[in-house]
Amino acid sequence: MLNQNPRHISDEELLLAADGELSRHRAAAVHNHLQSCCTCRARQMELERTMTAFSQSHRIELDSQLPSIEGPRALVRSRLRALREERTPRWRYIFGLNSGVRRWAYLRAGFVVAVVLGGLWFGNSRIASSRVSFEAETRPDGSLTPGATRQVTMSEVCANPQEEVIGEVSVSLRQEVFEKYGIVNPRPDDYEIDYLIAPGLGGTEDVRNLWPQPYHARVWNAHVKDALEERLHELVCSGQVDLSTAQHDIATDWIAAYKKYFHTNKPLVGS
Amino acid sequence: MAPWSFEHASLAAPLTVRSAAKPSRIEAEVMELFEEFRNPLLRYSLSLGLTVHDAEEVIQEAFLALFRHLQLGRSRRNLRGWLFRVAHNLALKQRLANRTLKLRTVLDTRSAEQQVDPTPSPEEEASTVQRRHRLLAVVQALPDHDQSCLRLRAEGLRYREIATVLGISLGAVSISLTRSLARLTRADRR
Repeated sequence: MLNQNPRHISDEELLLAADGELSRHRAAAVHNHLQSCCTCRARQMELERTMTAFSQSHRIELDSQLPSIEGPRALVRSRLRALREERTPRWRYIFGLNSGVRRWAYLRAGFVVAVVLGGLWFGNSRIASSRVSFEAETRPDGSLTPGATRQVTMSEVCANPQEEVIGEVSVSLRQEVFEKYGIVNPRPDDYEIDYLIAPGLGGTEDVRNLWPQPYHARVWNAHVKDALEERLHELVCSGQVDLSTAQHDIATDWIAAYKKYFHTNKPLVGS
Repeated sequence: MAPWSFEHASLAAPLTVRSAAKPSRIEAEVMELFEEFRNPLLRYSLSLGLTVHDAEEVIQEAFLALFRHLQLGRSRRNLRGWLFRVAHNLALKQRLANRTLKLRTVLDTRSAEQQVDPTPSPEEEASTVQRRHRLLAVVQALPDHDQSCLRLRAEGLRYREIATVLGISLGAVSISLTRSLARLTRADRR
């Protein structure tokens, strides 16, 4: 199809002209030529038709493989939040002892960033095989941590984005949680005290709603649970899931809840 | 009664609203771009031969990089081109890491049959499906570079943007596309 006739416009120039990449002078010349040359007009149309046909084929071929945007959207949002929190150093909370939750948030953010940075390099296929064992140790003990909620209305729950609602965990309460789980002298980087039902979903600062989540969990970790909390908040506030159902599901088995609400058997990406 | 139950706390602690840490304007901007470009970027990454899982991870990483880029106050010119460039580079790096992926898996014959037309509608004429397969087969046979130019164009990028994404000149983009379109047109005429 390449047009070798110097009197006609080359295919390359026709393409560049269509994308507005010719000089004004040359564009005018091409325009004038096209006005009077049906051969070049026909070639221009053929080029456009071919490109359109390929673009459609490209999309049809790949669109059927695209997973829903919902899970990745929740994930990127929670990762951005982690980055934001990382950029707001709270040294006094890390080295001080007066705020469990802020320290929790910061350490969790740091962990998430490590996961994000590590994700691409280490890939997930290698750790997928040991998922079962990770699952076992990243669920709270249902008898010790059944979950606890406060009386909240939908408007209260949905008044703020999920991640903006936080609670406070006192040092004594943290110690109580560790004692319940029989963990003696925990190192700060071994566990985090996590809310089973997130405050943003009506969960309370209550020993029945707090559990020691191990930091070393690589698959079903705090990062993944963040995405679930975000997703549940969206579903509840869009009326797709009852608040009580969301609380029940996350409290009963948060990993099963993740699988249920994200329609997947493993964390969607990079967790 | 289900074995599971939780009690409402009798002394409900007031919830704290972390007003100082609301999503920033940049976060909102990044989320907006995510809505707009996640699918195009994902399609492009898949066309480079990544698995859906790896491609999703590449896209996540690209948007986190965008967040850092904007936080540092760097250029906002042509963020679409910027995103495609970052995704392209990350995808190539990932592809290199996945030595087992020797072929563009999305384009192998089996996947073309299974995924392109999972349930061919009776309305869709066989000739249309055949045409699509024919075009995709031609593209599959093109050098990587030419395929990338075509795929990026199919995602609506301008030639200038394609040149930036691939790190080549505008002239090289137009030559590549001219060559590829000539082949596609020839195949389409048959």
